[in-house]
This record gives sequence, structure tokens and C-alpha cells, in this order.
Amino acid sequence: MTTENNNITKRENDYEQETLNNERLLSEHEYDGIRELDNDMPFWLKWLFILSIAFAFIYLIRLWVFRSDDLYQLKEYQAEVAAANTNPAAAARSEAFELVLLQDEGSLAQGKEIWTKTCAVCHLADGGGLVGPNMTDNYWLHGNTLEDIYGVIENGVIDKGMLSYKDQYSPKQRLEVASYILVKLHGSTPAKAKEPQGELYE
Amino acid sequence: MELQKFTYDNRLSKMFLQATFFWGIVGTLVGLTIAFELIFPHMSAGISWLSFGRLRPLHTNAVVFAFVGNGMFTGMYYSTPRLLKTPMYSELLGRIHFWGWQLIILAAAITLPLGYTVSKEYAELEWPIDIAIAIVWVIFGINLIMTMVKRRTQHIYVAIWFYIATFVTVAVLHIVNSINIPVSFLKSYPVYAGVQDALVQWWYGHNAVAFFLTTPYLGLMYYFIPKAANRPVYSYKLSIIHFWALIFLYIWAGPHHLLYSALPDWAQALGTAFSVMLIAPSWGGMINGLLTLRGAWDKVRESPVLKMFVVAVTAYGMSTFEGPLLSLKSVNAISHFTDWTIAHVHIGALGWNGMLTFGMIYWLVPRLFNTQLYSKKMANAHFWLATSGMLFFAVPLYFAAFTQSLMWKEFTADGFLKYPNFIETVVQILPMYYLRATGGTLYVTGIILLIINVLKTMKMGTFVKTEDDQAPALKLHKDTGHRFIESKPVLFTTIALVVILIGGIVEFVPMFMVKSNVPTIAAVQPYTPLELEGRDIYVREGCYLCHSQMVRPFRSEVERYGDYSKAGEAVYDHPFQFGSKRTGPDLAREGVKSGKNYKPDSWHYNHFFNPQKMVAQSIMPPYPWIINNSLNTSLTAKKIRVMQTLGVPYPEGYAEKAVDDLKKQAATIAQGLRDGGIDVSDDKEVIALIAYIQRLGTDIYKDK
Repeated sequence: MTTENNNITKRENDYEQETLNNERLLSEHEYDGIRELDNDMPFWLKWLFILSIAFAFIYLIRLWVFRSDDLYQLKEYQAEVAAANTNPAAAARSEAFELVLLQDEGSLAQGKEIWTKTCAVCHLADGGGLVGPNMTDNYWLHGNTLEDIYGVIENGVIDKGMLSYKDQYSPKQRLEVASYILVKLHGSTPAKAKEPQGELYE
Repeated sequence: MELQKFTYDNRLSKMFLQATFFWGIVGTLVGLTIAFELIFPHMSAGISWLSFGRLRPLHTNAVVFAFVGNGMFTGMYYSTPRLLKTPMYSELLGRIHFWGWQLIILAAAITLPLGYTVSKEYAELEWPIDIAIAIVWVIFGINLIMTMVKRRTQHIYVAIWFYIATFVTVAVLHIVNSINIPVSFLKSYPVYAGVQDALVQWWYGHNAVAFFLTTPYLGLMYYFIPKAANRPVYSYKLSIIHFWALIFLYIWAGPHHLLYSALPDWAQALGTAFSVMLIAPSWGGMINGLLTLRGAWDKVRESPVLKMFVVAVTAYGMSTFEGPLLSLKSVNAISHFTDWTIAHVHIGALGWNGMLTFGMIYWLVPRLFNTQLYSKKMANAHFWLATSGMLFFAVPLYFAAFTQSLMWKEFTADGFLKYPNFIETVVQILPMYYLRATGGTLYVTGIILLIINVLKTMKMGTFVKTEDDQAPALKLHKDTGHRFIESKPVLFTTIALVVILIGGIVEFVPMFMVKSNVPTIAAVQPYTPLELEGRDIYVREGCYLCHSQMVRPFRSEVERYGDYSKAGEAVYDHPFQFGSKRTGPDLAREGVKSGKNYKPDSWHYNHFFNPQKMVAQSIMPPYPWIINNSLNTSLTAKKIRVMQTLGVPYPEGYAEKAVDDLKKQAATIAQGLRDGGIDVSDDKEVIALIAYIQRLGTDIYKDK
């Protein structure tokens, strides 16, 4: 094991000097051969410390003395919700519209996209049914009209696990899914059909 | 002056060293396993003790307490006698410490995969093991303090200051956070509940990072860097400032783990303010480490030991800058519950703790075995594997965290969540999980190289059992200022204890004494016996590791999960289950029928049996044993009684009726499932778990 020593020291009047960086070594600071230099904390670190303490004090004073709204999370939340509600685009959520079956391919493609993304989890992509009922046969649990189906999508059937989608999809999107079910899925032949549920509608 | 002769015994260092690399490979391999389980959810093959929720606590405990723990003891038992010019006070106590610690780890490695857990992160172990930890820890402390008392040096060196802080603080943290009331030999409930339990836990959790992963390793840094570089320590004055500032400020910062939670704003603000103040004291350690290397940089290029130390200290600087950053509420709103946290802790664990341990081992083994390192080339290869492994681990996770968090928060122009299905945000970041597992593989490969290298080195040399040294007897002379307390180790220990107690006391006393901090909600009632049993299964399976129960007051979360969580809702939660990571969605409002995420019992049943049947792209593992196991109700009455002693208001004498009520509720749920065509009997564990899940978040809606 080489024990080459980088601690070249020279004696000044009453202290030892480390010669590589010309810094003062502290006398009597020797622990198992480890020496310590008499350097100050770097000034930038000192200022970082002082500024961070200032930040902390200002932060706490703003909370406790000035009770600034932005430091109270519920006020922050209320402001966030209020801002969202004034957004004109969000008004589309409650816009009035006419409930008529959509037949155009564009709308049905939109409906299919939502179906695949959201509904297929319980009803399968081809509508054959899994936890949720089969959409392809003539048996319906909650009615077979556009209004019935739209209503189920909007309000859900909570006890059976069908969620309400009024907070996830706009009225138009809900109509697109309902139309997709009636136009495309209903009457198709799924890979594996779930047993009939509900009443038979001819 | 007459010199006294004495001998250092290297045997304890050697034993701890062997344990370090043994548990190092175990801990990281378990980590690698669970990294792969996140990509291949069926990897656990329906075996309970291989599932993510069981193995993750084993990974964290093995890395923190077994790998880093044994690493710190290796360095402490080597450096302490040399710095104090005396053998350790008692070899016997040292041996009890060693074997006690290994038995504790062994007990953890058995109980955690079997599901015996309190569920408080890094404090999962059940009460008998907790007691063993306390005893072994005190034995270690006595040995440390008595060695200081018997020393031959006037002053104690800065490394020893950090060892002292480690001893006193970990003792306080462990004892306060582990006050549990036993139900049986391996089951207990914490005395604290809900938000209060969360505050105590994260005071502990954060300071486990501070005083188990940081202060002991700063002590090792102060010994091994100057020794390996043969350079004087840059600044003694900086040592004093950063030591005291660090230990005083750290203890306050715990609440930053609970930003935007139901914890009161004032406590959160303390967490933020004290975290910001920690940058400079933490960097003080990094600066003193790096600037000590001035004049030795030419050696750094040559020496794998110094290279590893440089990366370790740099990683320390990075993660202690990142910590305060994550404690700012605006950053935390994005980072919390995401993989950012995972990336952050791994910069600390893989970089700071890992690299410092490896560097120390490569320096120490040739000295303990009086030989050269078997292969410097292998050590260099290890250096590159570890460094690149760390980056491959962390960088993809930063990317994943940002991506997922922004997806969670994004609204469409119409004001709907852009990604209402949680699974979409998981699928998006899966490629990053592959990269993370790759990084982990690189890192583990490096450790294998280390073990081969070390074993070969050991074989080449002969173990130096003892080393002789000599020093004059201690004759204290007068001192002033900081030099005075450096010459009074017991006084030093006492002052350190007082300093670390302040922050905790200031935060806990109002939290426990002032009622307005946890406003009561009349509708919130204790869990039914079946729900309580279901909750214990939830805890046993480590569900909280991937599912939070804390809806933060953000529009995006209220829109996704339902009303934000309130402190008063968790008052009967012994322990709290807020969680700290969302690998899956939050479950705080899972049972609310009119809510955003309600699913029928049958959905849950199918989902537990095979999650991919219900959510094709899910990365949740299957839980067939919950479906097959019968619920053990032999402890139900006892559990109710323990809850009563903790202040949960079950009617008097309810414990005796509990099992009857449990059976009635189970029969109703099971009947509902059977009506839906599911073949299940009343007494299965899954029934209890479903009961608990369907109770979540419902209390405040009872009147509506």
C-alpha cells in the first residue's frame, strides 16, 4: 500500500500551513491522521443559507400573520374551481341540444372511440357483454329507446355498477355513444355473447 | 509523555462488511424483482409472498436497514476506535449488536413477505421485532458512548458527531413511531390514527432518511474521504455550522410528505419552510466532501474508490437540492404520488448510499486483508455500471412522472378530464418502467462484480485480526466554545438530543392537543367488524403502496375521484392509509355509490381474481389467495377491544357480538355475489376486503 502524502506542511510562526492551497491547518485537529483546515464557509453557501432562512420566515409570516390566500389550500381550490366555471368552453357541458339518433359515420366513429376506451371494459369491445349486459341482443334491462340508453349513460345504474358519465363526457359525446350502440352494436354478432338479461323488446 | 499501547479489533468491521454486501445483493435483487413485476403483473404467479405489495416493504427495509445499516456499522466500528484512539468499549456488545441486527433482518425477511406489517413505510415491522430493534440499538449506543468516554483524544471528530446524532435520533424516532397496541404476537394497531398517525409516521419516515441514510453516511464521508485522498478536511467551521443546522432543521421537515393532504395548513407550511432552509446545511456536507479533494483530483481519475466517493457526494448534493424543491407546494402538486418520488429516493440510495458504501468497501477490504484489490479494472467497471445504472433508473422515471402527472391534470376545452381512465396514464409511461428495470439490472450487475472482486481480494490476503496502536493517556485541558463540548461527549450527546427533540415537539403538541386541527365529522363511524378485517387484509397485502387514499383539493382530483379528503374522515384509521404513490388510482372515495368510480361487488371480485379481465391493460397482480382463503375471525373480538382502548367508540360489550355481525354482513355481500352468478361462500377473505373497499369515503354521504 502506498502512503504517498499530499499533505505537505510547513511551519509558520505559530501554525502549520498546508502548501498545496496555502491554507492554514488547525493545530491540535488531528484524528487518526486526518487534519482540518481553518477555512470559512464559502461565502455563496453562507448567502444561500441566509436567503433560505429569509424565505422560510417570509413564508411562515405570510401564512400566520397576513393569512395570504394562496397558502390556504381550500381557498386555492375554491379559486381554481371558480376560474374553471367562468371558462366559456366549459359551458358546453350544459348546453341544450336535441336528442335525435345520429346516423352519420363521423359521429358513429366518435361513438365507437368512446365505446372502446370506456365502455368496452365491462361490455366488451364487440358489445357481447362481460360484467355489463350484452348490447347486441334484443333484451334490455332499462329500455331500448334512444332516450333510455342516453339516460343510462348520463345517470348510470349505480346499484349494478354502471357509472354516470355526465362528468366525463359532454351531452353530444353521450349521444354519439348511445347512437353507436343502437346503430352499430345492436343486431351485430359478438364473438361471445353473454346470456340475455332483462325484457325482450321486439 | 508516556504512550499507552492498545489494539484495534477488526473482526466486527469484517463481519458487518460481509453482511453489507450480502444484504446489498439481496435488497437490490428484490428491488429488481418488483421493478419487473410492474411490467409483468402476472410474474408473481398468484403466489402471495411474491406479490409486489408484500415484496416492496422487503426491498425498502433490506436496502435501508440491512444494506445501508450494515454499511454504516462497518464504517463506524472501523473508524470510531481509530478516531478515539481506543478499542471499542466492548467486543461482546458489538457482537450482540451484530447478531441481533442480522436476526432482526432475518425476521423482517420472513415476516414481511408473509404479510405481517404495520403498513407504516420503513416502519412496517411488527411489535416484537420493533422491541428487538430498540434493544439492539441501545446496545450499539452504549458501546458508542462508552468508547467515547474511554477515549484518548481530547476532542471528538466531526464523524463521531454524526454518529452520535444518528444514535440518539433514530432511537427517538423508532420508539415514538412504533408505539402500537398488540392484538396478537404478530398483529398490532398504532396508537395514533388518521392525520395524527400520518404526521408521526412522516416525521419518522423523513428523518429515517435524515438520520439513518444521511447523518451516519456523512460521518463515514468525513472519515473515509480524507483518509482515501490523504487530504485535510476543507473547513472545520463549516462542519460545525452544517452539523448543528442539519440536525436541528431536518426534524421539522416531515410534513412535506403530506402537502395538500388533510394535514392543517400550518403544519404543511412548517414542512415547506424547514425543507427550504435545509439546502445550505446539506450542501455544507457536499462542499466539505468535494473541497477536501482539492489537490487530489489527479488521484480521483486513477482511483475507483475516490471516483465512487465523488459520485456519491454529488448524488447527495443533487438529492438534497431536489428535496427542498419537491417541498414547494407548487412542485409537490405535480410530483407527489408519481414516480418522481421513486427517482428521488434512488438518487439518494443508489448514488449517495450505494456509491459511498462501495467506495468504502474497495478502500477497506485491502486494508483489512493486508493486500491489494484483486482487480482495479473490475472496480472501474463496477463504477460505470453503477453510475449508468443509476441514471438509467432515475431519468426515465422523471420523464414518467411529468408525463403522468400532467395527464392526470389535463382538462379538455369542455371542462372534462382529458384522460378520465386512469389506465391510459399508466399505459403511457410503461416504456419508462422497462428502462427503469434496465437501469436496475445494470446496477445489480455492478454489485455482483463487487462481490466477486471482494471475495477474490479476501482470498488473496490474510485477515488482519488486530492492529496495534499507541497514544498518550487522556489528560483533559481547558477548552472554550465548540471545542469544549467536543471534549465532553456525554454533554454533546445530550445537547444533540435536545436539538432534535424541538421540531417534533412543536409540531406534535398542537396536532394532538388542539381539537380544531382535526375537525370532527359526526357522520364518521367506526368500521364494522367485517370492514375492519377487510382493512387488515388491505394492510397485509400492501395495497397502500400503489393506491393512495387522499384526494387532494385540486379540481382535477375532485373531478376524477370525488370530494377531497378531510381530516375528520380518518379518525378511526389505526394506521392511516393515505399512501404515497399512485401506481393505480386513489381509493379514498371508492365506495361512494353516487361517486365517480363506484364499482359493484362483482366487479371487485372479478378484479381481485384477475385484474386484466376487468381492465385489460392493468398492471395490478392477481390475488387468487384472497378469493380462496377463509377469513380468520379468531382475533376479531380482540381487535374490537384493542380499538376500544384506542378510543374508537364501539358500544360497550360489542366485541362479543362482533363475529355475529361480521357473519351477517358477509352473508349479505356473498348472497349478492351469488345472485350475480359468482360461486363464493360467505367466509372468504375477499368478502371482507370488498366490504372495506365499499365503505371507503362513504361516511360523509350518509345523510344524502
